[in-house]
Amino acid sequence: MFFKKSDFMSIAAIIAVSAAVWAARAAYNGALPGASAKAEIYYEAELVETVALNVGGDRTFSIPRHENVVFRLYGDGSICFAQSDCPDKICVHSGRLRHAGESAACLPNKLILKIVTE
Amino acid sequence: MKEQSGVPATIKKTRLLALTAMLFAVSIVLAAVENSFPPPIAVPGIRFGLSNIAVMYALFFLGKRRAFMTAVLKALFVFCTRGAVAGAVSLCGGVLALAVMSLAVVLFQKKISYLMISVAGAVAHNLGQLAAVSLIYTSLSLWAYLPVLLIAGVAAGTVTASLLRLVLPVLRRLEP
Repeated sequence: MFFKKSDFMSIAAIIAVSAAVWAARAAYNGALPGASAKAEIYYEAELVETVALNVGGDRTFSIPRHENVVFRLYGDGSICFAQSDCPDKICVHSGRLRHAGESAACLPNKLILKIVTE
Repeated sequence: MKEQSGVPATIKKTRLLALTAMLFAVSIVLAAVENSFPPPIAVPGIRFGLSNIAVMYALFFLGKRRAFMTAVLKALFVFCTRGAVAGAVSLCGGVLALAVMSLAVVLFQKKISYLMISVAGAVAHNLGQLAAVSLIYTSLSLWAYLPVLLIAGVAAGTVTASLLRLVLPVLRRLEP
């Protein structure tokens, strides 16, 4: 049996609950004073760089020994993988991160970018 | 599997072996096809998981053992071509997806549809992959991603289940 009528109910329920949790989290994050958020960059399992997010100004940077990957910090306190030499570019497609708990990874380069609070 | 009269057991066994090997090949080709397109949404580790079509077929019609074999072989292939970390990530995703799908089949028997099994498998696959990255590198907040994983799982599960339905008549002709 490929699908039954009740599947549509289940799927609608899954989507509704997920969307509600998503919206609640976004609202919660929006209410937080964002000043304490920082980004951590890991190479393999090692923390190699910590970046304060809400400092204003726009800049791009790389971490030492990994100039093939470029990060960009935006004036609004978000950060992303701007460029990478990896084949799939999943890291770049992950887009801008700003809330604690969000992360992006470039597995071919063994780099992880994640947002934490202090 | 259906008993077929007149076919000796050894021939059946050989056919099953060949069919498993072929499904493994199909899963690799599907993964390669998928990787040649840009990801549908920009969240790491979230994809359609087209190779799940081959694994699901194995689970539904050849049994759990063949399905797990396909998933493990695929992880080994990833290990050989893309390295230890990618292999571990593939293994975690593949085995967790199969474990969840097998559990769904055992628990609900005929009461659960392929669509829902496929959705459960897709969610488990992405969750397993994220958990593997989290274990190997640095802890990621899986809970933060759960809503995205669930919605993406519904989409991916629907796509793979529909494609399985399309190719099923062809696959069934190959059965030993």
